[in-house]
Amino acid sequence: MFGIESLLVVTVVMPLAAAVLTALFGPRLLRSQSHWPTIVALAISLAASLLLVWQVAQEAEATHTARQNEPVPSAQPTSHSLGYERTLTLWTWTGGGEVGQTALSVQPVQDPLGPPPRIEVTLRIDPLTAIMLATVLTISFLVAVYSVGYMHGDPGYWRFYSYIALFVFSMCMLVSVSNFLLLYVFWEAVGLCSYLLIGFWYQRPAAAAAGKKAFLVNRVGDFGFALGVFLLWLTYGTLNFHDVQTGGQTQPGILGQTFLQQPEQYVGGAVGTAIALLLMAGACGKSAQWPLHVWLPDAMEGPTPVSALIHAATMVTAGVYLTARCLPLFLAAPIGPLVVACIGGGTALLAALIALTQTDLKRILAYSTISQLGYMFLAVGTGTALGVTAGMFHLFTHAFFKALLFLAAGSVMHAMGGVIDIRQFGGLRRHLPWTHTTMLFGCLALAGVVPFAGFWSKDAILLAVGQQEGLVYQVLGWAATATAFLTAFYTFRAFFRTFYGPERIPEETGGHVHEGPPWMTAPLVVLAAASLVVGAYFEWTHGFAHFLAQTPSLCLAGLALEGPRAELVSHSQVALLSTLVVLAGIGLAALLYLGSRTVLEGLTRASAAVGLYGLSYGKFFFDELYQAVVVMPLTGLARLCGWLDNQAIDRAVDDVGAAPRALGALFRSLQVGLVPFYALAMILGVLVLLGALMTG
Amino acid sequence: MQHVFEDLFGSAVRIGALWAVAPELVLCAALATMLVVRMLTPRWRHSPFYVAAAGLAAALALVVCWGLPAGSNQIFTGMLVQDGLAWFLRGLVLLGTLVVVSLTALSRTPTEEGYLEFYFLLVGAALGMCLMVSANHLVMVMIGLEMASICSYVLAGILRRQRQAMEAALKYAVFGAATAGIMLYGMSLLAACLGSVHLPTMARGLADRLSGLPHTEGAAAYQSVLLLGGVMFLVGLGFKLSLFPLHFWAPDVLHGAPAEVGGFLSVVSKTAALGLLARLALVLSGSAGLAQTPALGHVVQALEPARQTLAGLLALLAAVTCTFGNLAAYGQTNMKRLMAYSTIAHAGYMIMPVAALLASAGRDTAAAQNALAALLFYAAAYLWMNLGVFGFTALVRDRCGREEIETYRAFGRQSPGVTVLMAIQLFSLVGLPPMAGFMAKFTVFASLWQCGLGALLLVAVLNTVLSLFYYLRVIRVMTAVGEEGKHSEPGHPAMLSRSERFTGESTTGGLSGEKGVEGPGMAPPSASPPGAEAESAPQAAQPELPLLSWAGLWLLVVCVPVVVLGIWWNGLFALAQAAAAASW
Repeated sequence: MFGIESLLVVTVVMPLAAAVLTALFGPRLLRSQSHWPTIVALAISLAASLLLVWQVAQEAEATHTARQNEPVPSAQPTSHSLGYERTLTLWTWTGGGEVGQTALSVQPVQDPLGPPPRIEVTLRIDPLTAIMLATVLTISFLVAVYSVGYMHGDPGYWRFYSYIALFVFSMCMLVSVSNFLLLYVFWEAVGLCSYLLIGFWYQRPAAAAAGKKAFLVNRVGDFGFALGVFLLWLTYGTLNFHDVQTGGQTQPGILGQTFLQQPEQYVGGAVGTAIALLLMAGACGKSAQWPLHVWLPDAMEGPTPVSALIHAATMVTAGVYLTARCLPLFLAAPIGPLVVACIGGGTALLAALIALTQTDLKRILAYSTISQLGYMFLAVGTGTALGVTAGMFHLFTHAFFKALLFLAAGSVMHAMGGVIDIRQFGGLRRHLPWTHTTMLFGCLALAGVVPFAGFWSKDAILLAVGQQEGLVYQVLGWAATATAFLTAFYTFRAFFRTFYGPERIPEETGGHVHEGPPWMTAPLVVLAAASLVVGAYFEWTHGFAHFLAQTPSLCLAGLALEGPRAELVSHSQVALLSTLVVLAGIGLAALLYLGSRTVLEGLTRASAAVGLYGLSYGKFFFDELYQAVVVMPLTGLARLCGWLDNQAIDRAVDDVGAAPRALGALFRSLQVGLVPFYALAMILGVLVLLGALMTG
Repeated sequence: MQHVFEDLFGSAVRIGALWAVAPELVLCAALATMLVVRMLTPRWRHSPFYVAAAGLAAALALVVCWGLPAGSNQIFTGMLVQDGLAWFLRGLVLLGTLVVVSLTALSRTPTEEGYLEFYFLLVGAALGMCLMVSANHLVMVMIGLEMASICSYVLAGILRRQRQAMEAALKYAVFGAATAGIMLYGMSLLAACLGSVHLPTMARGLADRLSGLPHTEGAAAYQSVLLLGGVMFLVGLGFKLSLFPLHFWAPDVLHGAPAEVGGFLSVVSKTAALGLLARLALVLSGSAGLAQTPALGHVVQALEPARQTLAGLLALLAAVTCTFGNLAAYGQTNMKRLMAYSTIAHAGYMIMPVAALLASAGRDTAAAQNALAALLFYAAAYLWMNLGVFGFTALVRDRCGREEIETYRAFGRQSPGVTVLMAIQLFSLVGLPPMAGFMAKFTVFASLWQCGLGALLLVAVLNTVLSLFYYLRVIRVMTAVGEEGKHSEPGHPAMLSRSERFTGESTTGGLSGEKGVEGPGMAPPSASPPGAEAESAPQAAQPELPLLSWAGLWLLVVCVPVVVLGIWWNGLFALAQAAAAASW
């Protein structure tokens, strides 16, 4: 009954059903009870996904053990499959034709318009998908519960839950489809949900503009992604991840066993690099990496639960998922991993620098999200087993503590009557004890303090980067360490300014400061507990890495995920260094924001004098740069086109349209009704014809 | 019996030949019966209608039952010819007349006076037209043509009390007579030059002259006379087809005559004239009439310059006529007048395949046959859509006495079903898929392409675009919301202003422009002055034409073939191709 396939279907279908139900019955029937379909569906999905993880772990372990015990015949070194995967084909979406590729000979499709790609709606389950599903659904469920309190009384209550359920469905499909085209479809679907939810309060111009900005910036990345998908189709003649058995023949999928066992078959060179870079463009857009990071801070205009769910924990990690999933394609490109690592490391540092001086609590968290996502890309960009595991591990832990931080910030905002500027409030720890404690957990986890979740995963990343050869990785390693320091500093800057110092309460609260309802505090507590334990638990059991290593894409031959563990010496060195750095950051924050103001003011003045403060506060002026370089020329071009359309084309069309009428009026004027005139005209006409014929 | 016939007409006339003209004989019988029944039962007011309908239906049944002739066959010592072209067009002529007759039952147009005359003349004209499409001899050409024409002149003026109708009839008669005279003169020139009045013989003679001409004395003079004769002959045909510059009568006559007569003239009469033109083209292309000729290939070859000249002339006339008709239709305010120009434009489209036939006959018989098939298909499709629109005009006039396009404003609200039918007909006239008009145009255009008349094809396509505006304007008026409002549609400001320019301005502008100069020749009709109509009449009596009335059902029945032929066109087109093949 609880077969893996049925569990998978249940997991993804429930949110869709909830979305449809809420959309249908929300406005009239459910109204303020609109959260029930979504919460029930997400609870079921969550249970199913946890069962799924358990079952996948069982089966993966079984196959793994069987494989190790099996005496490997030397003649067929690669007879068994790599990793663990199951696919479930639901129906054939389009294209009946067989793709004319039967052997493992990678030949570009000769005629791009030839056989249409056969697209089957196929779901897959493997450890990577299982982890993503469980993470997404856990956070989604908690956020949905939290929103009951947070969104209470909003006129668009049912709309909110319908969108959320639709988003969860899209996100689940995104991580479980087994085809690049479908991946693209749900990639766009989560983008759509993100747009809808950022602009949820569409009456506010800022929200509408932020939604638009997110959508447009994502479009740039998605354009690259689409090109990447086209190029994949041209190069490999298929878009499937998995191998397809058709009539006794194996049609290799891009991430299927056939390719994975012979990774040298992957197309490298310019084409391979182009594929990797185009996919990376898509990932940059979705995961808000430089240079497409500008949309995420603005996306904080959406409701805070949305920021927690979509713009911190789940959707923005889709880029990391894509990179991890397509790791073989990146490894096939000569500079693929390096580019990913550089973008990740650079973005991590850049976003951390910007976060130093921001005053909007949610924006600080947004930049920290960008920065942490940069860590993940940096880790995946090492291209090693250790790095990918570390990156996914960080994705996993980050989802918990970042969701926690956002929900806590939402709780603050809720109590402050919508004010989120850290300059306007302070010393709230007595008013918001639950929020204070849980947020402290979140901050410690984000900063990476032993034994909170962030420590273990960040540590793993620093370790993975440190183990890489080469100057670039060395530099990136130092940048990551510096980022750790900055992260600790800005996190506690926000924390101290919010909860410590002299008590300041903005007028918007009306002097009535209180904790949110239990709907809101309960998820905070759960997430705080998770932030404390998930890192340590999985680190000490090695369960996460071991499980993830069963993912086919990460079992690439030559990528020994289960190699010897990192030496304890270097491990402890890294841990020690990062702990010192983090403590220094926290200490500095405490010194500046809990101690005397003079130091802080002096420092601020000094940095402002050399322009550093303004640079950070102005977010390195990327928005202004894009405005000048991209938006304004395009606006100018659009104006020009509009002018041409109105003045030249429309006028020309008008004139062309006027010409027949003018001619018609002329011709009509021939029709005078006079018999002699008609006769004359006829005779003249015939004479002209005759004359033309005679002479010609 | 056969003996008597042979005594009377000589052995050349066989009784079998009489069977071949049985439809015509049935029409003759119907004419006689009409008079007799009228005399015997003067109380039975509607007897002429029933007799005419029965006669036409019987004749049509005869044509259909006999089926397509196997090939070309001359009868009555070559006076007439039985072939695919004659069979197909005779069927169309009879069918079209029958449809017009059925319309008159609903639109009550031949009023008390002239009731008998109307049907008598209608059947008489149909008889003449049947002869026209099967004529193979100049004498038969003239007889058929005059029989059709004289009846038509009177039909145009059948409403004797209306000045407008009388004027139309008079104009028609004057120009008809003049052009008939010119045509007769051209015929005599041709006959004198070629030494025969039997069309295939004339063609053979022409071939001899053309191949021998360069070597004889006075070649240039001979050629001039031949050309002159040919052009004068064409004048007569061009008049019937309302080709530019012989179209002048058409707007005035179709405007003045009742819509039923207008439909008859624009469809049936035109079909017959087209048949005559196609007959000439066939004869010049070496049709079966020349089969007995020893060196047919040589004759066909020798006629190539004549064909090319005529093809060029027809292509030019087609292009000019089509463009003129479509442009002049802009800004018309009277539905009948609009349709008159539309008729002119469609005449242009319809002679295009004749040009294609002539252009390719010498080289590619299959292409030429395809062109003829396109012509036949076009004529068949045109019958339904044009009669549909004229019928609608007549039915609305029957209800409110007006024929202005403005009369139909917001018609869609009152009678949505009929509005849809009209929209289908007008779309078909434009040539939009999936209507019959689209396939008709498509086959014609395809044959133009096949026969290498690319320039003409371009003109034709551009003309289709031009025609879009004035047909759609009628639909727009019919579906417009608001009472009198020309500005009532909400929409984009730019679009609004542009559409205003198309309708508001042009209706008034076109009216004053045309009426102003028309004044001296044609006094504004007293019954329904168009100028006063559009401005003053408050549309109190909005005509109502529900789909579930006899009139609505009639429109539906006429509309059905337009859709059916547009979608399942291949059946009719295959028949047209067979008819074309049977004409060679």
